[in-house]
Amino acid sequence: MRIFQNRKARNLLAICGFLILCSLSQAAKIGELTDTNWQEQAIEFWTMQQPSVRMAVVGTTLIGLCCGILGSFLVVRKLSLLGDTLSHAVLPGVAAGFLWNASKDPWAIFIGATAAGILGVALVGWIRSTTHLKEDSAMGMVLAGFYGLGITMTTMIQNMAMGNKSGLDKFFFGQASAFNEGDIQLLAIISIITIAILLFFYKEFLTISFDAGFAKGSGMPAKVLHYALMALLAFAVVVSLQAVGVVLVSALLITPAAAAFLLTDRMHWMLILAATFGMLSGVLGAFISYLSNDLPTGPFIVLGATFIFLLAIYLGPRHGILPKALRRRKQRKRIALENTLKAIFHLCERSDFERRVFELNELSRERNISLRQTEREVANLAKAGMASRQSKDSPLEMSAQGRFKLTSSGWLRACEIVRNHRLWELYLTNAAHYRVDHVHDDAEEIEHLLGEHIVKRIEERLQNPITDPHGRLIPSREQVTV
Amino acid sequence: MATPVISTGQSSKVFVPLEIHDLTVAYSKRPVLYGIDLEVPQGSMVGVVGPNGAGKSTLIRAIMDLLPVASGWIQVFGKPFKKSVTRVGYVPQRESVDWDFPVNALDVVLMGRYGRLGPLRRPSKIDKEIAMACLEKVKMHPYATRQISNLSGGQQQRVFLARALAQESDLYLMDEPFAGVDAATEAAIIEILRDLQNQGKTLIVVHHDLTTAPDYFDRILLLNMRVVAFGLTKDVFTFENLQTAYGGRLSILSEVALSRAQKKLEGDTHENISE
Amino acid sequence: MRDQFLPAFSFQNAIIEPWSLYFDSTIWIVTMGFLVAATCGLIGCFIILRRMALVGDAISHSLLPGITLAFLLTNSRDTLPMMIGAIAAGVVTVALIEAIRQSSRIKPDAAIGIVFSSLFAIGVVLISAYADTVDLDAECVLYGEIGWIPLEDRIVLGGHEIGPLPVIRMAVIGLIALGLLLTFYKELLVTSFDAGLAASLGINPGRYQYGLTLFLSVVIVSSFESVGVILVIAMLIFPGATSMLLTDRLPRILWLSAGFSGLYGLLGFHLATWLDASIAGGMTVVAGIIFTLVWILAPKRGLLVKFVFKSHSKGARTSSIETQAG
Repeated sequence: MRIFQNRKARNLLAICGFLILCSLSQAAKIGELTDTNWQEQAIEFWTMQQPSVRMAVVGTTLIGLCCGILGSFLVVRKLSLLGDTLSHAVLPGVAAGFLWNASKDPWAIFIGATAAGILGVALVGWIRSTTHLKEDSAMGMVLAGFYGLGITMTTMIQNMAMGNKSGLDKFFFGQASAFNEGDIQLLAIISIITIAILLFFYKEFLTISFDAGFAKGSGMPAKVLHYALMALLAFAVVVSLQAVGVVLVSALLITPAAAAFLLTDRMHWMLILAATFGMLSGVLGAFISYLSNDLPTGPFIVLGATFIFLLAIYLGPRHGILPKALRRRKQRKRIALENTLKAIFHLCERSDFERRVFELNELSRERNISLRQTEREVANLAKAGMASRQSKDSPLEMSAQGRFKLTSSGWLRACEIVRNHRLWELYLTNAAHYRVDHVHDDAEEIEHLLGEHIVKRIEERLQNPITDPHGRLIPSREQVTV
Repeated sequence: MATPVISTGQSSKVFVPLEIHDLTVAYSKRPVLYGIDLEVPQGSMVGVVGPNGAGKSTLIRAIMDLLPVASGWIQVFGKPFKKSVTRVGYVPQRESVDWDFPVNALDVVLMGRYGRLGPLRRPSKIDKEIAMACLEKVKMHPYATRQISNLSGGQQQRVFLARALAQESDLYLMDEPFAGVDAATEAAIIEILRDLQNQGKTLIVVHHDLTTAPDYFDRILLLNMRVVAFGLTKDVFTFENLQTAYGGRLSILSEVALSRAQKKLEGDTHENISE
Repeated sequence: MRDQFLPAFSFQNAIIEPWSLYFDSTIWIVTMGFLVAATCGLIGCFIILRRMALVGDAISHSLLPGITLAFLLTNSRDTLPMMIGAIAAGVVTVALIEAIRQSSRIKPDAAIGIVFSSLFAIGVVLISAYADTVDLDAECVLYGEIGWIPLEDRIVLGGHEIGPLPVIRMAVIGLIALGLLLTFYKELLVTSFDAGLAASLGINPGRYQYGLTLFLSVVIVSSFESVGVILVIAMLIFPGATSMLLTDRLPRILWLSAGFSGLYGLLGFHLATWLDASIAGGMTVVAGIIFTLVWILAPKRGLLVKFVFKSHSKGARTSSIETQAG
């Protein structure tokens, strides 16, 4: 059941990856549809001669950097969705900032949005500490309530007789090419502040993230640090809105950091990786959205980040799905091989070690598997240099009477496995006081896992035994080497 | 609210590591600790024992200033906790952190040095050496670079202990350091704790196992919302006291364990007398 | 078009006129608002109890690619293909979250964030890629507007005009929701409270989880036209959460939620009329205000009561100690 679920999981993830690739390729298609040639656009983008392109690239890079770093702290503290809440909560602040002087003054919007974001986060904490509602409900309410207020305000603005209000809709899905110099300045300042604060107080942020109680106990101002982090987050979210939009900015916080979390076991590496992934997806999103003028930037940045995440979850060397599956497969193969060897040993033992050459159908009966499977197993053994064929059959096919024998290395390994099995059975009965009829299944598993070192210790513990609990001989070390 | 009594001009007065006066802690409406008075002498190893929900962990967290105090005051080495932060080491419960966190064992132990460092300073080479030495004390140095989720429960507890050692404190507060560890680790931990006590440090350890408590600690604090009894183990560990602390909840198993422990204690006193 | 941001409040314009001059549309808009909020609120109570509030949020976002794909495949805005697309999207969302959680050490909260944002992004990309052919507006899906629901199609039954099609549809879905919840009340209760216990009683918790998810998708897709995908989450959580501050008993919570939903529909409409803003936004603002009022003033657990209690806390503590000792 569990295996089935895992496979289902993998398939689903694969479908998701496929969809994302499709969406990314859609972008190219749109480029074709529009009258501009997308190749030309691409060249134009990468040569970066246009100032607007330069600004979009610088802007999205900085955003990716800030969000990646700050998001890492959210992900390790299991606060990912607080980022989502915060990004929705800024909307009324954006509208209020917009109203301030009825223009897209970045500073007014910045201040309004930051205030709204921090208020939202504080409200979540407040609801949680004064009511019995759980965190997810509190976040959902703040998220939706603030967003509703924001939408009320934006629709009010849109129904107002006022001059320039065209920029407001960009805050929903983001448009990187809308960056102007003021925005970039703001972004640069925020990035520098973020990095500086995190560098100076890295050990404090690390400690409160890992163990807030301990951090407080060693005299760190946990609350101040928490709200400092939230303020930085609000800054980052607000400056990212232009490029990514309200709905998707949380992805930029979560996804690159989650990808980094899969790849490393050290916090500082996670920060560096997350920042890199954030920057990569930022530039990728800016590039694809540049291919056609109407394309929003945000979704492509998000899809770029998701693509990186999928790569990490599939290919990550230690925790990745594929490497894990490969390792499991390798182990299954080894176990099958060892089981074949053991079966051959049993055949051999039954003939009082007189016969060394066996027929395929004998092994097939012993292993209780089909002839075809047996054939494959013997072929595998032969490939590993542990068995050699005796019959004159064609090298590809062996008949049921096809004969084979173990090579010396195969014999050695077979003895080892049987030894492991019988020693373990003996250990369980003598040292752990299992009943004799209860030990076989456990030994079947453990025989493949025992290392040289443990075998030696078991042997010492059992004072170099000769027979197993069923009275059969345990192949001794000397016998193995002979 | 009572104000702390600040000694006037007696600079020579030696302060006890922990003094608690009429402490009350409440979660929303329900008080968890009520009217606690406590004075822990230097160099003692105190086992905090009591039934579930007696407020053992709450007491530790209140001392650490992690909880709001409804009334009363706590002084650590004659000062409020905040002022003597660097003199207190802390071992939290193992479940209180996320073990998937991207740090290795050495990183965790190094955190013990951060309180001393203060803001803006980064850990030096010496700090790292001290951290490594602490890992060695708990015999975890071969695992220094292991990510912490790849350690067993007992190993994780040892890492926490090493972190507390790295704090180089005079007073240690430990919240169930023996919970969910194997017998070997328990023995290793108690050895380290005794070592600390021999160096003149004071230890306050939350413990849930009545059978081992009299072996481990020289003083026992029996807690059930109030202080049921506090003092030398042989004075406190009486059937009447335990019955009061545990109410009717003392199960047959604990009673048997208790009578065995009492006999042992009596045996100890007889030996002392015969000596 | 007006000049000030906050228009002057005119009782005549905001309260009287909608009912005297435009009664026919007003009554249906308010009813629709109530139905959406009540249906969402009903199912939302269980969502809150299962701590799935943010899963609901994720599903509501992920519907975008689902309905877009359904639209692209069938090229119609009929209810059925949209429903199927939405249900599929809902199931895929939950399955993907589960898949990420199972196959890696990513925590559920991060998994939710990754899945919904990716799916939503796919939806936005699909819509902009087929902008000329898709008659869907991402912003319309995002905000929704009850004022835009078509009221012309009237359902006539036995010679009597009952009401506009979308309102009747919502009512039917609401009734089905009510019926299902009543039928499976005890199973839902048990699986929400203690999945292990449910399994030992022979109730498969996974099946109810997926059932609830399916139905959540249906409710969300039928509401999105009116309130938009993001404000659905407000309608899902606010009624239940507000009621839970007032009472502990689940049946009472459900009744109270329905009552609050009526208030959201009515007051939200008038607020929006006064401010000349989105009705869905107005309903959410009303929901937020009501929650805040309850939060402060609730008779047993309100902030005010707690504040008053605190000043007498010493005496109360003594008495509670005594009762415990006795």
